[in-house]
Amino acid sequence: MDETGKGFYQEFEVFSKRTFKSPFQHQFSLLAPNEELAIVMAQENFMRREPVADIWVVKRSDIRMLDQEEREGLQRLDNKDYRNTKGYGYLKKKWRDYEQNMLDEKEILSWGGDD
Amino acid sequence: MDVLTSFERLSDEEKYEHFMKRIEAGEKIEADDWMPEEYRQTLIKLISMHGISEIMGALPEKEWVPKAPTLRRKLGIMAKVQDEMGHGQLLLRVAEDLMKPYGRNREDIMQDLFTGRLKFHNVFHMPAPTWGDAGLIGWLVDGAAIMTQTNMLKASYGPYARALQRICAEEVFHAQHGEAIIMALAEGTEEQKALIQDSLNRWWDSLLMFFGPASADTTGSSKQDITVKYKIRSKTNEQLRQDFFSKYVPRILSLGLEIPDETMHYDKENETWVYQQPDWNEFKNIVKNNGPKSKDRLDLRKNAYDQNAWVRKALSPDNQAI
Repeated sequence: MDETGKGFYQEFEVFSKRTFKSPFQHQFSLLAPNEELAIVMAQENFMRREPVADIWVVKRSDIRMLDQEEREGLQRLDNKDYRNTKGYGYLKKKWRDYEQNMLDEKEILSWGGDD
Repeated sequence: MDVLTSFERLSDEEKYEHFMKRIEAGEKIEADDWMPEEYRQTLIKLISMHGISEIMGALPEKEWVPKAPTLRRKLGIMAKVQDEMGHGQLLLRVAEDLMKPYGRNREDIMQDLFTGRLKFHNVFHMPAPTWGDAGLIGWLVDGAAIMTQTNMLKASYGPYARALQRICAEEVFHAQHGEAIIMALAEGTEEQKALIQDSLNRWWDSLLMFFGPASADTTGSSKQDITVKYKIRSKTNEQLRQDFFSKYVPRILSLGLEIPDETMHYDKENETWVYQQPDWNEFKNIVKNNGPKSKDRLDLRKNAYDQNAWVRKALSPDNQAI
């Protein structure tokens, strides 16, 4: 075995965004000897066709990931009505009794617009 | 957190049961999750073989980059060769994460390839002497590869499923790239038509072998039952081969080509294609690196590896003090 190669490969996780507006998205992992080559490899491996606006490479050892048990603990119980507008839907009918329209999400988010 | 319910406190049987429940429920297993040894070993064997085959598969095709007939064809086949290497990189990463608990890495994968412990796909041991072969590989070998790979898109192992999603999207381009070459030759001169018939004759047995034996009876070993049990794949080798016939035989015939098997026909009653079995002893021999181009291609890979040893040495973080 070629012992000189043992420490050569470092694990990097690759993130990129398609446009400046889009969020960073995890692509995949790759092996490279350093950050500079990781960026080159990221383009070679994952960005041969799709447009790309920015790239991050992060050493995997610098990422705190969840283990299996922590991930399984993420499952949401279906009891979050009090936290969502869905739990307050009855207001629509109430407001109608007062001859008013409900200020729903669509209405409220439209206030920031120019029109 | 209630320590008593902690996953680590479960017995191996309980862990196995939990694992199988997750798989049955369609959940994806991730690299660091607990998994039975048989699952890990099967995945390592399957994915390292798949990954290294992508890289070895680029070698017969790259021979055609300098010889492609036009600039557009040259660019097309170059893009395809680059994709295959990219697919290899992706798949090797998936295999390497699975090998990590054994202290094994890419270095070991390369050494296993050179010593013959790690096998690569039967089709990539074969010569590709004409431009017709370049087209046929893209059209039918990639077509066969798409069949086997799409069969695993829903694989229970998350990282493999995600890698295949990326790969299959690009394979669509590969198939059409191959079709474009074949179509041009099929609509060309008599000589060009003869060229692709010749390629089809040369590749037919390899294409049948591509899907592997129908059962372990044929070659002495087959992993297909285990991969079905763990929901890594859903169809058997023979189902995939039959699907391939259904999709491609009518297309092959429509171009005026002949299937080099006189016995081949569709049995309507049993809804199966009847065909002449390839020589499975030959298959065993080929994948043991005794195919016509096995040695050449391994040498090519090994030379590239040896000649670039200085790069690995120079850039290795172990060497920074020098």
